[in-house]
Amino acid sequence: MKYAVETISLTKVFSDWWGRRKVNAVDNLNLKIRTNEVFGLLGPNGSGKTTAIKMMLGLLYPTKGHSIVLGGDSTDPKINEHIGFLPEESYLYQYLNARETLDFYAKLFKLPSKIRKDRIEALLDMVGLKAVANRPVGMFSKGMARRIGLAQALINDPDLLILDEPTTGLDPIGTRQIKDLIIQLAKRGKTIILCSHLLADVEDVCDRISILYGGKIQAMGKVEELLKHTDKKQITTSNSISDEALAKIRNIIEAEGADCDIVSPMDKLESFFIRTVADAQKQSKFTSGAVSTTNIGNFLTSGDTSKGILDKLVSESVGEETIGKKIETRKAEPIEIVEPDKDLLSALTQTSEPVKPTAVIKTDTVEPTEVPGAVDDDILDELVGKKRPVETEIPKKTDVSEDQADG
Amino acid sequence: MGRIWAVAVNTIRQILRLKIATAFIVILFVLLPVMGFGMTGDGTLKGRLQSFVSYGLSLTSLLLCLLTIIASIYTLTSDIKNKQIYTVITKPIKRSQLIAGKLVGVVLLSSVILVFFSCLIYSIAVYMPKFLNSSEQEIVKAKDEFYTARASVKPRQQDVTKEVEREYEKLAKSGMLEEVFKNDSKQQIIAQLRRQKKLEKRSASVGSQILWEFYNVKPTVGSEDIFIKFKYDVSVTPADNQIFGGWMIGDNRKPVKEIDTEVYNLRQKNSIGTAHEIKIPADAVAEDGYLAVAFFNLPLNNTVVMFSPKDGMEILYKADSFFANFIRVALLIEVRIIFLAVTGLLASTFLSMPVAILVCIVVFFTGSISQFIIESFGYLGESVIGFYQYILKPLIQFMPQFDKMEPASFIVPAKILSWFELAKVASVMVCIKSLVLLSIALLVFGSREIARIIV
Repeated sequence: MKYAVETISLTKVFSDWWGRRKVNAVDNLNLKIRTNEVFGLLGPNGSGKTTAIKMMLGLLYPTKGHSIVLGGDSTDPKINEHIGFLPEESYLYQYLNARETLDFYAKLFKLPSKIRKDRIEALLDMVGLKAVANRPVGMFSKGMARRIGLAQALINDPDLLILDEPTTGLDPIGTRQIKDLIIQLAKRGKTIILCSHLLADVEDVCDRISILYGGKIQAMGKVEELLKHTDKKQITTSNSISDEALAKIRNIIEAEGADCDIVSPMDKLESFFIRTVADAQKQSKFTSGAVSTTNIGNFLTSGDTSKGILDKLVSESVGEETIGKKIETRKAEPIEIVEPDKDLLSALTQTSEPVKPTAVIKTDTVEPTEVPGAVDDDILDELVGKKRPVETEIPKKTDVSEDQADG
Repeated sequence: MGRIWAVAVNTIRQILRLKIATAFIVILFVLLPVMGFGMTGDGTLKGRLQSFVSYGLSLTSLLLCLLTIIASIYTLTSDIKNKQIYTVITKPIKRSQLIAGKLVGVVLLSSVILVFFSCLIYSIAVYMPKFLNSSEQEIVKAKDEFYTARASVKPRQQDVTKEVEREYEKLAKSGMLEEVFKNDSKQQIIAQLRRQKKLEKRSASVGSQILWEFYNVKPTVGSEDIFIKFKYDVSVTPADNQIFGGWMIGDNRKPVKEIDTEVYNLRQKNSIGTAHEIKIPADAVAEDGYLAVAFFNLPLNNTVVMFSPKDGMEILYKADSFFANFIRVALLIEVRIIFLAVTGLLASTFLSMPVAILVCIVVFFTGSISQFIIESFGYLGESVIGFYQYILKPLIQFMPQFDKMEPASFIVPAKILSWFELAKVASVMVCIKSLVLLSIALLVFGSREIARIIV
């Protein structure tokens, strides 16, 4: 199965009481979402994102066209066994507590008792609600409700996860956790449709995006391709350098006829916030809300714990036949610690003392948009005095700045 | 079944959170014991029991029916309005399973409440004589006429057609027809003569008698007594409002000396306009189930005595226990609950909650006065025959007819509700009407869009 979701001329016309055509909520939408892809559906309010998703899920019937989900019709319960859906708000039964909520949804999947219990506990742990698992969902904050909503979407270990505005109402940590979770799930071979108007969220995690306006696709493609500035380059240093060095660099660049902006990179507020809360947690300060705020990141990004919980979720299949062919698991990008070249830095700064080496994390998964292109070879040759061949000294993908490394 | 059960359990939880459910339960829990010990009826033990059970069962039935309507509508409309249905219907559950789960949940909860309050009513009714320290005589009367389930046999309707024809011919020959009936058509005259003859058959003029014949009177083995239940009215009301009557009960087909069974002669005074019972030994009934009852209007009454056409005369005899009858009556309420739960779910598949509740309550109250409605529309229908015959009449017939089988109408007079009658009602209300409504509900819900378009 090449496509997890395919829509063919999907159209939804909103008519008034008299049956007169009023608004084309979705207009001839042709989407092809590949398996094992994180696909972002973007657009301003009322652009037709949610309507399109509702049609894919059979909650609305198309006026014209049709959608194929996991090779079939999503109104077929057999197809639904492989879909996880988080609506734009966590529409949950207020009187059920978190554990009962997950138990109810798990029973709809006919999960055997033991697997059901294991998954519920694993999910409660994952979304950080284990401590409040017996509290009615109606007493949850919006963010906590969102977390339990996400947990119910994952209860069946879905092959296709449809998330409509998943980070709405979440604190920055929760937002980050969901983004990390999406990345982890994608690595495990899941297809994810992310519907949002929070561009940063989509940018961080999506392989491809589609921007809707007026129910029509305005742009579609890979995030890097759509966002890349091919005419600009960025150099990031791992340590502070002297003003003289900066002036030299500026001169060299201006000699090439290019403009040059030199600024100190700022820490992202998200990273700062997460660090602050993590410090508070280390001091065991009391909170009545979601507790394990960094758990998603911890057990989904690395370490045995995360592997254990995700494996529990993924490996304990219910034994029902899977739809379509088995999806290959995408291998995680290795995190590589690269020692910066001392000579190179010395050459760049021309200081008498060598710069203290700092580790630079080489990655391109978390912040795909900040992938700079390779620096112009000629300029670099000039900068390093042709001491070393640039191709071998400069990391080709990206040297993320400090804020990225912190994140 | 697992999915249906999961939805059913969730539905029960959902309904229990409804304040109206709690309110109804509390009302019944408080009112029933109060009614049990507060109602006096006609002052006798039997009267108290009848009043309590009548009001208790009626109140329980009414509140449970209303609760069923509200709960069945709320459970689906609330899911749709609050959009919880988005997260449910996108799971591997068919829409029909969702509806079935909701139905099971509503019916199960109502049934549990019904069982609980039926037990409460039964217990109060059974233990009331002990609490009230009733006399032995009152207890015996209550046992005979309340703590039992009696079958009823009504006399055969006498065919008056030939008599009416003869009377008509006689009047025609004598030339009295035009004088008496003026411009009436033959059909109208025949109808009037028929009514007149029928009244004659159930009336006893001064010094005359009426004879009723009963067939298939089959008291259960071991039954000691049978009961002649009667109610009469008079043309001129006597000063003491009572009639002195003579009764002869037994097999009248042969001379008294030749028959094996007993013949009983009684003379007693009874008030007019109310039902009375005469208790006689069951050995008056012939082996083949035949029994004749004769009433003599004694000359001192000086008025014509007329027996009511509906409940003027019947034989009652013990056919089952009070407990078994009570269970069947509770099941009769259960049949209503199932029908109303299905109706509520059907309404909630395409109507908003207030409108759906209104529609269902109209259906419920229409069902409670169905005989009146059928008769009223019957008269109306004469002027719009086509519309009435093909649209209105089938629709009215499809409506429930709760008043035809009132639970209290069986328990209060200790009248048996047979399994056959119950099965007949259940098959019509549940197996036919409810199934049709459920099919329509599945069709509507299966084809409707769950979400609303938001643009």
